[in-house]
Amino acid sequence: MEITNEIWKRHFPAENSGAYLFPEFEMRAKAVSAEVFRVPSAAEAREALIRLVDNVRAKKAVVVESPLQEAAGITEALRSRGVTVYTEAADIAAHADTADIGISGVEFGIAETGSVFQDGCDIATRLITILPPLHVVFLQSAHIVPGITEAFDIISQSFDRGCVGFITGPSRTADIERVLTIGVHGPSRFAIIAVDEEPKGGDA
Amino acid sequence: METETRNLRKEISEKLKDETLRDALGRFSEAYPIARAKAYENAGDIETLRDALRQMKIDTVARIEEVADRFEAEATKRGAKVFRAKTGSDVKEYLVNLCKEKGVKRIVKSKSMASEEIDLSKHLETAGISTTETDLGEWIVALAGQKPSHMVMPAIHLSRFQVAEYFSKELKTDIPPDIAFMVQAARKELREKFLRADMGISGANFGIAENGAIGLVTNEGNARMVTTLPRIHVVIIGYEKLIPAIKDAATILKILPRSATAQLMTSYMTMIAGPTPAMVKRDGKWVEEEKEMHIIILDNGRLKAAHDDKFKEIFQCVRCAACLNVCPVYTLIGGHVYGGHTYAGGIGAILTAFLSGMGEFEQFQELCIGCRRCTTVCPGKIDIPGLIEELRIRNVQEKGLPFLLKQTFENVVSNRKLFHGLLRLAAIGQKPFQKGRLIRHLPLFLAGMAKDRSLPAIADVPLRDRIGKIKKKIDKPVKRVVFFSGCTIDFVFPETGESVFKVLQDLNMEALFPEGQSCCGKPVIALGDVETTKKLAKENIRALEEQNPDVIIVACPTCTESLQQYAELLKDDPEWGPKAEGMAKKVREFCSFVAEEYGKRGRLTKTGDGPKVTYHDSCHMKRVLMIDKEPRQLLEAAGCELIEMKDADKCCGMSGIFGVKYAELSMPILEQKINNIRDTGAEIAACACSGCMVQIQGGLDKQLPGVRMKHVADILAEKIKD
Repeated sequence: MEITNEIWKRHFPAENSGAYLFPEFEMRAKAVSAEVFRVPSAAEAREALIRLVDNVRAKKAVVVESPLQEAAGITEALRSRGVTVYTEAADIAAHADTADIGISGVEFGIAETGSVFQDGCDIATRLITILPPLHVVFLQSAHIVPGITEAFDIISQSFDRGCVGFITGPSRTADIERVLTIGVHGPSRFAIIAVDEEPKGGDA
Repeated sequence: METETRNLRKEISEKLKDETLRDALGRFSEAYPIARAKAYENAGDIETLRDALRQMKIDTVARIEEVADRFEAEATKRGAKVFRAKTGSDVKEYLVNLCKEKGVKRIVKSKSMASEEIDLSKHLETAGISTTETDLGEWIVALAGQKPSHMVMPAIHLSRFQVAEYFSKELKTDIPPDIAFMVQAARKELREKFLRADMGISGANFGIAENGAIGLVTNEGNARMVTTLPRIHVVIIGYEKLIPAIKDAATILKILPRSATAQLMTSYMTMIAGPTPAMVKRDGKWVEEEKEMHIIILDNGRLKAAHDDKFKEIFQCVRCAACLNVCPVYTLIGGHVYGGHTYAGGIGAILTAFLSGMGEFEQFQELCIGCRRCTTVCPGKIDIPGLIEELRIRNVQEKGLPFLLKQTFENVVSNRKLFHGLLRLAAIGQKPFQKGRLIRHLPLFLAGMAKDRSLPAIADVPLRDRIGKIKKKIDKPVKRVVFFSGCTIDFVFPETGESVFKVLQDLNMEALFPEGQSCCGKPVIALGDVETTKKLAKENIRALEEQNPDVIIVACPTCTESLQQYAELLKDDPEWGPKAEGMAKKVREFCSFVAEEYGKRGRLTKTGDGPKVTYHDSCHMKRVLMIDKEPRQLLEAAGCELIEMKDADKCCGMSGIFGVKYAELSMPILEQKINNIRDTGAEIAACACSGCMVQIQGGLDKQLPGVRMKHVADILAEKIKD
């Protein structure tokens, strides 16, 4: 049985998608308190991440690799910065709750809502997305579809089993006096690093 | 479930004193429509989206068993265990056994209305299994020992100060009433519970038959914790949440967050098809294991509704609570009063009838005032007031009317001569309290009814006794028109009846008033008495049709609707069914008819610089008859300067008997209307419904005496020279 993140690209529309939708995506994502950093190259993606790491003075990171992260050498960069990095499921299970930062890749973005779509079948990915206070995701900036309907055109052809979903900004609540409060159970910060350059091997 | 007898009047008056609730709901009801409209700005045509959702749900419920079978098969194929629960007890038994078998001691729960409905948490706690609600609002409400008062915002009725008290008690430390601080305190406390839980119980916003997936939309991320961390995941899903295909989820997701919380999308939308891996600690080491996933499909009255020709409509509900957010009654008193065991508001009344029983429905169903505002926002386009009326009818058929009402309807209202005779007597009996044409004070126990509003006096001379004077001989009339006045115009506002005659005669039409006409039947059917309504219908059809009219004119939207509904009411009657249908074709609401005729004669153009007028859209005028432009055009044609008031189409609070029986609830609704009229600076408040005239005129007399209430017909008639 095939897993969504291995086959979704086959169903990603060549027409009706692309970086031209990025400005709308960025505007919508920022409107729901996501932080968006668009960079031209893998090298600059690494710098953007390091700035975030420095900003929160991260000591401990839990990471699930993705092609964009590998191209940017994220894990090595973190380690050389003195950050303890866990990449194995067992270690992530043990440390995600106390990590300062979680890093993972997402499949594509949705301009209509500012959401990102992620295959979370892998347990490590799901732990990373919910437990640390800062979640950083890597996104190819051309991988944007116009709306929910188009997203489901892809999903309906590539989601057979497992766990997939949208993430739209950080965790939030308005349950006390309808006052919007960020970061209740999940991350209080959600950052998207969008890279224009395709990773080597160019499977995008 | 046992039904306790509620004292609704008492609950209402207590709630009306709850400043926290009034303030919270008041602010919310102001903000919601604006936020919702903004959320839909980039969603395409909203009506197209609503129609798509409605149609998808209609197609699904028509083959619900087939969809459920497929869902079960696909989920099972992917490794989930599916259990069909007929009742709440079945769910509880299944879960308690499962917990025993798997050694489950601690459960974390994310939001599930279905579990609230069957009191699941309480039962699990009693069985010795620690069960924690993790949605912040649900947790607060659970700590308070209360029930959610809103489907989407369970704790909207509580203030930060109250929450701080509950938190301080639970966490055994002093928690300040600082919202950000309290949210962090909850995060810390509940994080521990997530990490230590053996089982997670979630609800589902949808279940997809195509691949057996369940979908969850949440903002806090607690559902992601509940479905990810513990080694066992149990889903409780009602049949109404099932949809056929993965793509159908898009139809729901375009709408649900926008309608529920005015978000384009919630923070998290998660779909899970079959068990996924979990991390489990074995001998001090974390190892990856396949999770255990159980899906409980709950019936508990849902399938009965699915097979009911009318009530299958409740499957169109996606639990967004938009209907509550615009309801004039809900937004005053909240879901603890306007609600049953689990579900609040009008939709709550209907769900309660099926999921908890008619006994509970009966206790609060009267609070639906039938204004139909909910029907304009419901994504599934459910006819909430219509279904409530249908439930009332079934309830009466089953149990009968309360004795006094039964006597009144069967012996008085259905006997026209006696009924009208009593109204004439009332004209004399009211004299001691009357001042001019209004009753300003009432003795003792009735005082509440006339506290913030004057009640109209019964006219000395009803319309039926004035016809001789006002009827003109028309040479070569273009149409023969029969006027159905309804009781209110006949006995309370006969001058408006005279205006109608004047306008029609001015159009060179022959106007007639058949003496045999009686009450349209609306107040009777509203309480569920079909038999008396049928009797009245036949009497009116006979009286109106024997005049052989071209058109039947009605100057009240509710009466118009009633007359048009006779066909449906009498459809099984071989003699009267066709007659009712024939008559319905001739029935026309006054404003729309006159606007059409003025248009033909080139008279529907703005003229002059007359008085400043604001127009109130009656609920049934706008949302049943769909007439809102014509009265405004007529007012402008009569030379008025039209100034729109805020919420022109929001109910004035009269709604037939409701406005009298629940006067204390009707008054704050009226007050909003009066304030909105005041803000326009208009000299005249116009409307085209005699029921609204009773209410608004009464409110103006007490609160804004400088402004006069007039029917559109009165304003038109004033422009016509005798």
